Amino acid sequence: MTPFEVGLLMTGVLLVLVVIGVRVAFAAAFVGVVGLIIIFTMKQGFERGFWTALQMAGTIPHSKSVTYSLSVLPTFILIGFLAFYAGLTKQLFEASKRWLGWLPGGMAVGTVFATAGFAAVSGASVATAAVFARVAIPEMLAVGYSKRLAAAVVAAGGTLASLIPPSAILVIYAILVEQSVGKLLIAGFVPGIYSAVIYILIIVGMAAWKGDAPAIKGFTWGERFASIPGTLPILAVVAIIFGSLYFGVATPTEAGALGAFVVLLTAIVKGMRLKQLGQALHETAKLAVMIFTLIWGVLVYVRFLGFAGLPDAFRDFIVALPHDPMLTMVLILCAYAVLGMFIDAIGMLVLTLPVVYPAVMALNGGEAVSAADSAFGMSGEACSIWFGILVVKMAELCLITPPIGLNCFVVSGVRPDIPVQEVFRGCVPFFVADVITIAGLLAFPSIITWLPSLM
Amino acid sequence: MRVDDRPVVTSEAPRYRMFDGVLATVEDVFNLIAASSILILMLMAVAQIFLRTLFNAPIPGFIDITEQAMAVFTFMGIAYCQRVGGHIRMEIVLGSLRGRTLWIAEFLGVLVILIVVVTLVTGSWFHFLRAWQLGDSTIDIGLATWPSKLLVPVAMTLLCLRLLMQLYGYGRLIADPSRVPVAVPVVLNVEEEARREIDEALGDGTDEEARR
Amino acid sequence: ADVTWNVSLWGKRRAFTENVEKLAEEVAAKTNGRFEIKMAYGESLSKSKENLDGISFGAFEMAQICASYHADKNPTLTVLELPFLGVKDLDMENKVSMALYEHPAVKKDLARWDAMALMATPMPQYNFVGNGDVPKTTKDFEGMRVRALGGIGELMSAVGAVPTTVTASETYQAMESGTVRAASFAPHAHLSFKTVEVGTWWTKNMNPGTVQCPVVVSITAYNALPDEFKTALNEAIAPAMEHYIATYDKVYEKWWPELEARKIQQIEFTEEDLADLRSKAAPVWKKWVDEMDAKGIPGQELLDLVTSTVGN
Ligand code: NA
Ligand code: NA
Repeated sequence: MTPFEVGLLMTGVLLVLVVIGVRVAFAAAFVGVVGLIIIFTMKQGFERGFWTALQMAGTIPHSKSVTYSLSVLPTFILIGFLAFYAGLTKQLFEASKRWLGWLPGGMAVGTVFATAGFAAVSGASVATAAVFARVAIPEMLAVGYSKRLAAAVVAAGGTLASLIPPSAILVIYAILVEQSVGKLLIAGFVPGIYSAVIYILIIVGMAAWKGDAPAIKGFTWGERFASIPGTLPILAVVAIIFGSLYFGVATPTEAGALGAFVVLLTAIVKGMRLKQLGQALHETAKLAVMIFTLIWGVLVYVRFLGFAGLPDAFRDFIVALPHDPMLTMVLILCAYAVLGMFIDAIGMLVLTLPVVYPAVMALNGGEAVSAADSAFGMSGEACSIWFGILVVKMAELCLITPPIGLNCFVVSGVRPDIPVQEVFRGCVPFFVADVITIAGLLAFPSIITWLPSLM
Repeated sequence: MRVDDRPVVTSEAPRYRMFDGVLATVEDVFNLIAASSILILMLMAVAQIFLRTLFNAPIPGFIDITEQAMAVFTFMGIAYCQRVGGHIRMEIVLGSLRGRTLWIAEFLGVLVILIVVVTLVTGSWFHFLRAWQLGDSTIDIGLATWPSKLLVPVAMTLLCLRLLMQLYGYGRLIADPSRVPVAVPVVLNVEEEARREIDEALGDGTDEEARR
Repeated sequence: ADVTWNVSLWGKRRAFTENVEKLAEEVAAKTNGRFEIKMAYGESLSKSKENLDGISFGAFEMAQICASYHADKNPTLTVLELPFLGVKDLDMENKVSMALYEHPAVKKDLARWDAMALMATPMPQYNFVGNGDVPKTTKDFEGMRVRALGGIGELMSAVGAVPTTVTASETYQAMESGTVRAASFAPHAHLSFKTVEVGTWWTKNMNPGTVQCPVVVSITAYNALPDEFKTALNEAIAPAMEHYIATYDKVYEKWWPELEARKIQQIEFTEEDLADLRSKAAPVWKKWVDEMDAKGIPGQELLDLVTSTVGN
C-alpha cells in the first residue's frame, strides 16, 4: 500500500465511524493516530514507527489549541450567553416591532431585524433561535400570525448569527485556512445584512399576497424613540467589535473581551446574580472545550493526511476536472448542502476544509494569483474570504432543512404546540430566500469581498 | 439548575456509584477552573486595552501569557464535556437503535475514544517531558511551556477514568438492557438535542425572569 | 529513490526556503535521484515551533527552525540573535553561523534533540518600518510602541520604547490604527506583511540584529546515510547558499524601488547615535552570558567566537 492509499482507506474508516455515531473529534483523532502508525510502520518498522506516531500525535492537542488567534472563541461565546441575562433580546425585539411593525408582515420583519441585531452580539445560530422563539413567537401569535410563519421566521432569522460578526464558525474557518480572522469577520457583515434583506423581502411579499400576517400600526414617534435606549448596549458591542476589527484598534480577542465586558456590566445592572454568571461561564467553558477538542482532534487526522499526501492529490483531481470552474464550485457547495443535512456545521467545516480548501484555492489559480489571472476573477486572498462566507452560509442553510435542521427543532422545542414539521414547512420560503442569497453571492462576489478589501 | 448530568442514584453497585461521584466532583472542579479562566482572560484583555491606550503601558508578553493560559480552558473541561455528552456526533443512526444494539454501539463508540485518548495521554506526556527536560520557552518573554503542556496528559487521564466509567455503565446495560442507565449520557434524538440546546441558551434565568 | 527524507517547513515556498529547495535539487542531481529530499510546506508535518520535537522522535529527517521561536530549546543558537553584533550582510551572517555550528557546545545543545545544524538560513537585519513623527535620533524611540521580539525587544526597552506584542499578520492593522507605531522585520517580511503600505519611514542603518534560523537534520538519519549520500549532501551546501543569497539580492531589487515609490523616508542615524545605542546593547549581552553560565553553557566563549568571526 502507498501512503496515499492508506490516506484514502482511513478516510473511509473515518466516515464509517462518524456515521455510526462516534464523537467526531475522537473519531478523527483515532483515524489520525492509526493512520500515522501505519505510515511510520511502513517507513521505520512497527516497533519504532508506533512510538514515532504516538509522539507525533501527542504534540498536536497542545500545539494546535494553544494559539493566540483561537483565544477569541470563548469571548465570542460568552457574549451570547451574557446577552440573554442582560435582557437585550426583549429590548431589541420591542424596538424592531415599534419601528418596522407598519410593514406588511411587520412583526416578522421586526423579528428578522431583531435577530440580525442580536447576531451582532451572538456567535451561535442555534442559541439565537432558542432565545427569540421565546421572545417573538408569542407576540406574533397574539396578533394573528400563523404558527407556521411565526416559528419559521425565528428559525431562519437565527441563522444570521453566524454571518454577522461575532461568529465562532468564521473564526474557525479563518484559522483552519490561515487567513486573517478580522477580515473574515468583517466579510460576514454585508452578506449577513443582505441575507436579512432577502428574508424581509420574502416576508413582505408573502404577507401582501396571503394577508395572514397583519401590519402593526399606531406606535407614536415618541414610543419609537423610547425603545432605543434599551438597545444601546447592543450598539456598543457592535461598535466595539466592528470598530476594533475594521480599524485594527484591538485584536479580535481584545474586541471580544471588551464586548463581553460591556454586556457583563449591562447584565449586572439588570440584576444578574452570581449564580447566573457562573452558569453562563460554565456553558461557555463546555462549548469552548467541545470546539477546541474538535479542532485538535481533526488536526490529528489532518497531520496524518499531510504525511499521506492526500490534500495534494485531491487538489490535483479538482483542478484537472474538465468543466467550468464555477460549475465545480457550485457542485462543491451542493455537496456541502447535502453533508450539512447530516452533520453539525462546525464538524462539517473542520472535517472537509483541510482537503477542500486547497483544492478551491488551486481552482482559482493558487494562493498568490492576481484577480486578472484567476478563474473566479478575484485574488487568492479574496477567493479565500469569498469561499469562507459561502460555505458558512451553506452550513447555516442546513439549520433549517430536514432531517436534522437544528434551528427548527429548537423552535419547536421552545413551543411544544408547534410541531417540527410545521416549522420545516414554514421554512420553505426562507430556504428559497437562502438559495437566492447564495446565487447572488456567487454571481456578485463583491458583496462579500468589498468591505474587507477596504481594510 | 439542571441535574441530569449528575450521577443517578440507584440501589445497585454502591461502590461504583461512589467512585462516579468522586470523579464527577473532580470533573466539576476542573470545569469550574476552566470557566474561571475564561473570565480572567476576558478581564486581562480588557486591562490590556486600557493599559495600552490610556497609560501606554501594555502588559509585556500579553500574547505569550494568553496562549499558555489557553491550555486551561481548552483541556480542563474535557472529561466534564464527555460526561454530559457535549462532544458533538452524528446521532441519526444511533437515534434509530434501541435496547441492547444501542448499548453495544455506545460501548464501541466509547472504546474507540478510550483507545485514542490513551495513545494521546502517552504522546502528550512525552511532549511535556521534552519541554521539562530539554527546555522550551515562548517567543516573546520566554515563559516556560511545560506547565501548560502538562495539563494535556492530566486532563486526558481524567477523561480516561470517565471513559472507563462509561464502558462499565454501558457494559452492565448490555448484560441486562432492562436496568436503569447509570452514569452514561442518555442518547438524545434530535428533539431531545434541541431541548438541551434550549436549556443551554436560556439557562435557568428564564424562570426567574418570568417571575419578576 | 533509495533514501527519502522529509523536510518540515512552514509557510509557502519563498526566498527564505530557497536554500533547502536548492539543496534538494543538488542532492538529487549528484545521486541521480537515489537520494530524495521532499519538501513539506505549510506546517503539514509539524508546527514551526515543534520542528525540533519532530526531529527528536524521528517523524522527519530535516527541518528549518528559528532559534527565537523557542530560546530554551536551543540556548546556544540565540547568541546570534543578540542585538548589534555588527553583521553587515548575508554572506557574513552565513559565515558566522557556520562557524558557530562547529562549536562543541552548540553541537551538544542540538544533539539533545538528536539534531545537528547542517546549513544556515541567513536573514537580513530587522530594521524598523514606522509611521508618525520621523525619529531623528534613537532617543526619539522613547515611549513609542513597537513590535519587536526577543533581544531586539529588550534593546528597545533599554532606549525607552514600549515593546507591544502583536502577531505578524496583525501588524499592518496595528500600525494603521496606532496600536503600534513601528515594527521590526526583515525587508521581505515588511513587504509580505504590508507594513510598507502604512509606514512613512525606515531605519536604514540601525541594523539592530536578526534571527537565527538553521536547517537542521536528524543525527540518526544522517549517520544512517551511505557515505556517498553524505558527501552529496555536504557538497550541496555551498551551491545552495550561493543560490539563496542570489535570490535575496533579487528581493532587494524590489525593496529599494518599493521604498522610493511609497516615498518612505530612509533614516540614517549618525555614527555617535548608533554608538550610543550599541552601548545600550552591552547589558543585554552581559545578561545573556550570565544566563548561559547559569545553564552551564560557555556563553562568553560563544560570544567571543561570534565577535571574532565578525571582526575578521
Ligand atoms: Na454573530
Ligand atoms: Na445541520
